[in-house]
Amino acid sequence: MSTASVTLHDPDVYERGVPHEFFAELRRASQLYWQPESPPGRGFWAVTRYDDVVAVSRDAQTFSSYAGTAMLSDFDDEVVEMQRAMMVNMDPPDHTRLRNLVNRGFTPRMIGKLEQSIRDICHQLIDEVAERGEADFVHDIAAQLPLAVIAELMGVPDADREKLYDWSNRMIGFDDPEFQVEGSDGAVAASEIFAYANELAERRRAEPRDDIVTKLVQPDANGDVLDALEFNMFFVLLIVAGNETTRNAASGGMLALLEHPEQWHRLREDRSLVPSAVEEILRWVSPVMDFRRTATRDAVVGGQEISAGDKLVLFYPSANRDEAVFDNPQVFDITRDPNPHISFGGGGPHFCLGAHLARLELRILFDTLADRVPDVALAGPARRLRSNFINGIKEMPVRLR
Amino acid sequence: MNVIVDYDACEANGVCEGFAPDIFHLDEEDQLHVLAQPDEDSADRVRQAVRACPKVALSLTETAAESPDDR
Repeated sequence: MSTASVTLHDPDVYERGVPHEFFAELRRASQLYWQPESPPGRGFWAVTRYDDVVAVSRDAQTFSSYAGTAMLSDFDDEVVEMQRAMMVNMDPPDHTRLRNLVNRGFTPRMIGKLEQSIRDICHQLIDEVAERGEADFVHDIAAQLPLAVIAELMGVPDADREKLYDWSNRMIGFDDPEFQVEGSDGAVAASEIFAYANELAERRRAEPRDDIVTKLVQPDANGDVLDALEFNMFFVLLIVAGNETTRNAASGGMLALLEHPEQWHRLREDRSLVPSAVEEILRWVSPVMDFRRTATRDAVVGGQEISAGDKLVLFYPSANRDEAVFDNPQVFDITRDPNPHISFGGGGPHFCLGAHLARLELRILFDTLADRVPDVALAGPARRLRSNFINGIKEMPVRLR
Repeated sequence: MNVIVDYDACEANGVCEGFAPDIFHLDEEDQLHVLAQPDEDSADRVRQAVRACPKVALSLTETAAESPDDR
């Protein structure tokens, strides 16, 4: 290979930047790339082409999220067993049951009801930073938006928002020393979230409201209901999946627009471009970089023979820049059409539950930014998260007017 | 050609309606309705919609045209 080989699971790699050149080379290869790992890692096939990622995503029978979880890392049996309580690490039919229960809160119609609150939240956030004229875009805007929206969605009091922020950092920052004092901190954060979720569910059972928590703790039309553990795990999933992802799409999107000032200018002048700009931001940033599957039987992926039990890792930033699907994939173009990016997943059971919510948040955020603070500039370097899972920015000082 | 909807898998994402609003419609309750079976004019768009459904909730069956009676 002409590009120096990259260790695809090494979080240091992504702290420097997504290895796009290496991915491009893997996409051109005739077979899948085998990435060796040191134990307990068992090594994995890197799935980097768009069509292959889609095919694997849509065949949950052959490519399981349950067998070895959906996470890249290999855990010991006890941890795997714990992880399996989360929807993202389940297969049909267990997954289907839970998914149908929680989906009631996330349909386009339900999400559409949040539009005005999201607009209010965006204005509030920008009020605060516009006065100062400078901000850390990540902490002050990008991180606050999804937190406030989840808090609104789940009926969490404003006073507890910082708690959500801290938990989510500690749960997902497992590879970044800045967010974690010791190895078990993620587990401690999880147990704190559990306790909080229990309390929240208890309050809604006692005092029902018109919110999603109330809906989730009550039986659906078929009499089916989430049990306590299922509810807690869903809350964890929401805090992690609904938070970091949108935060980093927003930060990464702002950074992309600052690095391509002509695109930001166009967006400001023509607000009808907001929806396609958001799709391009999602493609460009690919906030979730990978999920893992485990083959349940022998199979062929992209011409490569895969054995039962093999681990496969799907790399979304690579699929989203596949030359076979996107014209000039290395160009950031807010007018791109069509833009069939798979930042919400390649389709199938695990297609992002929060896709409509994420799109709505991002559209309103960039629309509001363009209205309120058209002059945005970097005031220092953006610092990247050390993670092989989330394409994250930890800090991004900006001046805004 | 007939469209089949797996209503257990459908999550009202509405992608299909984007491709073929004459065939697919999401109502106020997020329920998907098939307004008509695809004809020559809509067949390609329906195929695209089936491929694009993020939940793989749509499928197609080939119909009458291939049955022996029509030959």
